[in-house]
Amino acid sequence: MESSTTDSGRPRRRAPWHLKITAGAVGLLFAFPASYLLWRNATGSTGESRAEVLERTLGPLWRTIRLAVLVGITTAVLGTLLAWLTTRTELPARRLWRVLLPLPLVYPTFVGAAAFIRTLNPGGLLADLVAKIGIHETPQLRGLLGAWLVLTLFTYPYVYLPVAARLRNLPASLEENSRLLGSSGWSTFQRIVLPQAASAISAGTLLVVLYTISDFGAVQLMRYDTLTRAVWTTRLNNQPLSFALAAVLLVLAILIVGIERFASHRMTAPARAESSRTLLVPLGKWRPFALAATTGVVVLGLAVPAASLADWAIEGIRRDFGGGRELFIDRHDVLGPAWNTAWVSIVTAAIAVAAVLPVAFLVGRYRSRVGSLSNALVTSTFAMPGLLIALAMFFWTLRSSWAAEHLRGTMLVLVFAYTVRFGAQALGAATVAVSAVPLRLHDASRTLGAKRFRRLATVDLPLMAPGLLAGGGLVLLSTMKELPISLLVAPFDFPTLSTKIFHSFEDAFVAEAGILALVLVTLSAILTWLLIVRRADHLD
Amino acid sequence: MALFGILLLTTACSSSSDSRLDGRAAEIYGDECASDTKKTVTIYSGRTEYLIGPILEAFACETGIDVRVRWGNSTDLAVLIAEEGTATEADVFLSRSPGPVGFLEGKNLLGSINEEVLAQVSEENQASSGAWIGFSGRKRVLVHNIDLVPEKDLPKSVFDLTDSRYRGRVALPATNGSFEDWFTVFRDTHGNATATQWLKDMVENDAEYYPNNRAIVEATGRGEIEMGLVNHYYNYQEKIAEGMAHRAENHDFGSDDIGSLLIITAATILDTAEDKEASNRLISYLLSEGAQTYFTERTFEYPLGGGVSPNPVLPPLTALEIGSVNFDSLGGGFEDTERIIQGSGILND
Repeated sequence: MESSTTDSGRPRRRAPWHLKITAGAVGLLFAFPASYLLWRNATGSTGESRAEVLERTLGPLWRTIRLAVLVGITTAVLGTLLAWLTTRTELPARRLWRVLLPLPLVYPTFVGAAAFIRTLNPGGLLADLVAKIGIHETPQLRGLLGAWLVLTLFTYPYVYLPVAARLRNLPASLEENSRLLGSSGWSTFQRIVLPQAASAISAGTLLVVLYTISDFGAVQLMRYDTLTRAVWTTRLNNQPLSFALAAVLLVLAILIVGIERFASHRMTAPARAESSRTLLVPLGKWRPFALAATTGVVVLGLAVPAASLADWAIEGIRRDFGGGRELFIDRHDVLGPAWNTAWVSIVTAAIAVAAVLPVAFLVGRYRSRVGSLSNALVTSTFAMPGLLIALAMFFWTLRSSWAAEHLRGTMLVLVFAYTVRFGAQALGAATVAVSAVPLRLHDASRTLGAKRFRRLATVDLPLMAPGLLAGGGLVLLSTMKELPISLLVAPFDFPTLSTKIFHSFEDAFVAEAGILALVLVTLSAILTWLLIVRRADHLD
Repeated sequence: MALFGILLLTTACSSSSDSRLDGRAAEIYGDECASDTKKTVTIYSGRTEYLIGPILEAFACETGIDVRVRWGNSTDLAVLIAEEGTATEADVFLSRSPGPVGFLEGKNLLGSINEEVLAQVSEENQASSGAWIGFSGRKRVLVHNIDLVPEKDLPKSVFDLTDSRYRGRVALPATNGSFEDWFTVFRDTHGNATATQWLKDMVENDAEYYPNNRAIVEATGRGEIEMGLVNHYYNYQEKIAEGMAHRAENHDFGSDDIGSLLIITAATILDTAEDKEASNRLISYLLSEGAQTYFTERTFEYPLGGGVSPNPVLPPLTALEIGSVNFDSLGGGFEDTERIIQGSGILND
């Protein structure tokens, strides 16, 4: 097979047919929600004129774009900085930060944003605290500012995790050479680290932007009227309009995915992964600032919501013991759902990573239209609100009476729905990981006659492991907090922590919500440590 | 892994196969459980587990009819049932407000409830078609922060809230289901023009939009906003949960002001329900004395049947009840409500 290298360093070879077929099939599976949406739009019509529909679209669309751009920029900077600090510098307590930093991702936004508001807004915990030192005015978080802040804090892990994974297996020699040649730390960061991490930053930021578009919980509580909110508020009383707005949202997502593909093609080819020791940059006089910044992010993203949750929980437990109203949950209401949450999320994460691998190989290693299309389908589906994905699952399983009988309400469809919803998170990280495997290694093993699967197992996967773990970790954390699919698609009697939190919070049983949400965060911390951080450390 | 899940489910269920109930369900039914009838009722419930789970448990124990529940937001569940259409697994749908039920009635997916079950509540609290029935009530009230709003400042009617005295002080949960239902009745009672004008005046008076009742009650308790139009029920839960830190109380407009409307939670049987007999029994059970007592004692709602009197801590019931409104005559009532609220500009402040 002919192999030539283009000027951008990216190989241009013909993709093997079996890879194209598998990747195409994966793409097709991810097309279920989008095709459902197309069908609904083709068969329904709104009572509004085109002008009215346009008017009701433009405002939310503009707000959505504004919010997505802002959150995208801040998370890109924040996520990259934190990844660099925790992997390439002598920041104190790096392992602690590595466990804590991904965690804000696990707050379901509907309760996380509410807890955030209750801690920081007027009359909240912070206001009580600062009132003691004579400050009586605290700002009110809402609208664009509130939504931006809360989404930045809850989504920067989408950038942090893949970039940290990329930086971990960036050969130290590059930086060492640069420093030996007399470059300063900052210029090394700019000239060596940033270009090498660019594709991971870009992939992570893409996830942030798509998540921001799809988010309902935070914008709802911050009262910022985006497209997803408009889809949500019209879903009962003006369904055709709701589906039309959802289609606009999907088109926006596809455009964004296209822009990201175009931009990442132009980035410096990474192709420089090696499992080797990493060089740690001394921070010198910047050490206190770096520590303060990292602490600040953990405090805002993790501790601020946790403060309200703990306050609710403690008040509830105190009341329970003090002879007031007893809690509406007992040990079984926590343990069963916690177990359900843990295993279904781990299974989903593993399946999602495996499912997107063919697409990642096709996109990362070859130029192929099938690859681009599958990539666009997998990735843009991440912007679709969970409710629509749930409805699509019902729509398609009810097309045949066999599927209706044997598939509806089964674990199989639940895991499939989660995978479709979050596959994009695994794909982004996996594609970065694939393109980071040096082709010369690959060519060498090929020359030595290694069979395809052996090559995959001995050459590719070990080098890709940190990226795949990061991708799987994102899927894991997202699945743990997922709500609409967990409520509507799951088998009967399969409570998860997030559905339990929903029950508690919906009717203002805040003590129960606080306890369950803290269990969710703790469980995520344990799983993040066991499955991601510890393994990634082993790989060093 | 699926096997794992099944194992887990069986262990989770085995505790309930004891012949007596415990916990809150035992307050409703304390005797031996009936033997299994091999019948199952599938419920899509927009009422959450804490509020209704014990009643369903008591029903299963007392009648020997199994209950499967798909929990969720009422609106999401109505949209899901519409998506499933005649293939839906739901036999019974429980909604926290009439809107989602009216939506399904409009899609011709509802069957009718037996006469003797309908007879358990007054006519105002059921659909004239017999397609759905109210099984508990929540009253619209004005929740207010007691430190920021002195008693003499409280309005006598929702119409007073457009007065400049209340500029920027009132929160509206404008996209919330129960607010939409309330506004639909408002339009029906006072006429479209009056209701639309009221909302417009509220917007001009800088009424603050909040996403839902719970958020308003919580923000009022902190003093972030002074008052808001909500369902009465949330403030009781917040007070229990937060104690003295929660500085809000309900104000009842009283008499026959539209602001004190009773919004019912609605139960309905799907036209495609497999076992209509068991479904009717379930709804009848929700209206029994035990269940109705639970609703008012434990969840601070208004009972609608079973000869049960409202919890004495609740404001007295008034003449206005949402069931007295003929939804059929409203036609595209809910859809127009959505447009009017959208058009008022309340969301874009």
